Amino acid sequence: MLSSLSRLIDVMSAMADSSRERTAADRRLERIVRASWLGAVLFMCSAASLAAEGDKLFASCIACHGSKGEGNAALNAPAIAGQDAAYVERQLLNFRNRRRGTHKSDVFGAQMQAAATVLPDDTAVAKVASYVASLPKNVIAKPATGNLHNGKNLYNGKCGACHGGVAEGNQALKSPRLAGLDATYLKLQFAHFRDGVRGTDPQDTPGRQMAMMAKTLPAERDIDDIIAFIHQQGRPK
Amino acid sequence: MKKGLILGVLVAAVAFGAGTYFGRSGKQDLTISSSTSGASYSGGFKADAATKPEGVIRSVAGPAPTNIVVVKDGESIQAAIKAAPKGTIVRVMPGTYHETVYIDKDDIRIIGVIEEGRRPVLDGQKKLNDAILYSGNNFVAENLEIRNYKGNGIMGQAGNNFEIRNNVIAESGVYGIFPQLGQNGIVEHNVVSGIADAAIYIGMSDNILVAHNDVFDSVAGIEIENSRHAIVENNYVHNNSGGLLAFVTPGLPIKDTVDVIFRNNFVVGNNHPNFGAPGSTVSGIPAGTGILIMAADDVVVESNIISDNKVAGMIITDHANASNITADPESDPNSDRVKILDNVMLRNGYDTIPEAKALLLADGKVGRKNLDIVRVGPSPGSCIVNRHQYITAGVDDFAECDFTNTAATVNYLLPPVPPREIKPGERGKVVYLGICTGCHTYNGRMIGPPVQVIQALYMDNPQGLADFIAKPTKKRDDYPEMPPQDYLDPETRLAVAQYMLQVTN
Repeated sequence: MLSSLSRLIDVMSAMADSSRERTAADRRLERIVRASWLGAVLFMCSAASLAAEGDKLFASCIACHGSKGEGNAALNAPAIAGQDAAYVERQLLNFRNRRRGTHKSDVFGAQMQAAATVLPDDTAVAKVASYVASLPKNVIAKPATGNLHNGKNLYNGKCGACHGGVAEGNQALKSPRLAGLDATYLKLQFAHFRDGVRGTDPQDTPGRQMAMMAKTLPAERDIDDIIAFIHQQGRPK
Repeated sequence: MKKGLILGVLVAAVAFGAGTYFGRSGKQDLTISSSTSGASYSGGFKADAATKPEGVIRSVAGPAPTNIVVVKDGESIQAAIKAAPKGTIVRVMPGTYHETVYIDKDDIRIIGVIEEGRRPVLDGQKKLNDAILYSGNNFVAENLEIRNYKGNGIMGQAGNNFEIRNNVIAESGVYGIFPQLGQNGIVEHNVVSGIADAAIYIGMSDNILVAHNDVFDSVAGIEIENSRHAIVENNYVHNNSGGLLAFVTPGLPIKDTVDVIFRNNFVVGNNHPNFGAPGSTVSGIPAGTGILIMAADDVVVESNIISDNKVAGMIITDHANASNITADPESDPNSDRVKILDNVMLRNGYDTIPEAKALLLADGKVGRKNLDIVRVGPSPGSCIVNRHQYITAGVDDFAECDFTNTAATVNYLLPPVPPREIKPGERGKVVYLGICTGCHTYNGRMIGPPVQVIQALYMDNPQGLADFIAKPTKKRDDYPEMPPQDYLDPETRLAVAQYMLQVTN
């Protein structure tokens, strides 16, 4: 536990140590960030140490992902409520086993990598994943704009075979639900897959599969169109 | 005040409509052509001197074999074919046969015997996938009734010189009659209905005649796809979602559709709700389409009766404007050189789609209640005769055709052509072309998932893919279940898996 804590603090420090010129305001902000992160981490630790059921473990997630798992675009934390349990568990294990969130370009992944190590063991990971999956899905992401005709065609041609016709995900193919995810998050993860940041670990087979598909879609405009189509899914008509 | 405003708007609209009408009719002289006189289209296929037929060809499978075996009710057609040498007529007596029949020998003819209206019935009971799969050359299937299969009624896999006639096929999966990768074939006098994709699907084939078929209650009636030199004539095509289609499906190994003649067909009331799997190519056909031409070149439309198709009598489009299409950089996306000759068009487009209405408005055609022909996307080199007869959108810039009929082209059939040449080491490729691409395109969703996705899922595991092919499991709720390909031997399955994982388009 202590080693996890110190790793997390290291990561936070690295994040705060930006290369830009630092002002008094920056330093103040840094102190606030450090304090609030430390608070959050202590809270996580206490929650984790209880080794309680999933809902209690989930307390360590709400600081970023929201109390209902609805996500927080301002913190680059995706909506996770109702996400497939196996996917959530696999990603938490990927973070914990340093298969995700270790690339130098993946700053937010590094945060999550540190946060995931706070969970005491694999059983806790499974419990929290199961709890996340049980949360009601709610779509708060702002609709994205794009060419829906192109987005729908490309989604059906490139994405739907694994992520489902309405971006609902498909457990049999280890593909997460995409409907309801924030556009910035989707775009960043797509870029990570495409650019060799995510989905490179030999043991992360689903990630490698996604990375291979991501490389077949080079045009940024097409990604925007596909995301606009995804954003139409899972919303009340 | 309000009344005055409405009156003003009305006057303006009438003036605009009248101006458009008189302006156009004043500018354009009426060119009236009769299809009984004038030049004839010479067709796009020239047989070389060695294969040039003498007289009209009515049969392509060569001389009938003399060896005959009889299969009776309660016996197995497959067992008879397995035991038969190549060059056998298998007569099938009336009765019910629950089986899938594979033919990998040449010169096999399965001829049903009809007794007082009773046919031999192949019934898949919604458990079996395919009724007949043939890869042999010179194959003939006649007089059969095929029902309740989940995949295909009759599917050809790279067999040349085929004849499929006088069969009744109903409720049998995604393709009723589907010769794939064949040259020189006849599909005639079949009654095909209730098919979830194309009732008659000519895929990646050449020199084809599709004639005198009755095709209805299916998503697509007759589809000529990535094929060359096909004549589709004298068919009754009714109550499908789309009637006659000439298509280029992107992502298939054959990249074009060229030289198709649609003539003397009845294309009537193709308004069936589209029940293709959502997201699949075929589900993009607007229900209510008489004829659909997408990215196919040199399609001639002559002397058809095209009536009561609610979206349009005829849609000409390109890949960019079509639904559920992922473009293929190796395919020309446009329908080049469409040739619309004299046709009878009645009551089409009475309940059309907003996109077509917008195109009518763009042509300045205000207040039209019907729509015969609509074109969207480039269609260079196209022509039309008697354009004044039809209500059209987007075809005003078509030239006047310099011929009025296709009488000089009888058909594109040939004397029996040699079997497709398979070089050593090409087994995987031929199976991929002849079987896999019936449902899988490289980069889009046809029936099954795209090949690119399969490559990602099985990147370094060809054996895993080969095992899946033998015994597929359903993984996608919104895709049809893949039929097992366990009739292929393990080496062939591995060869095609290896080929599929490295193909690049």
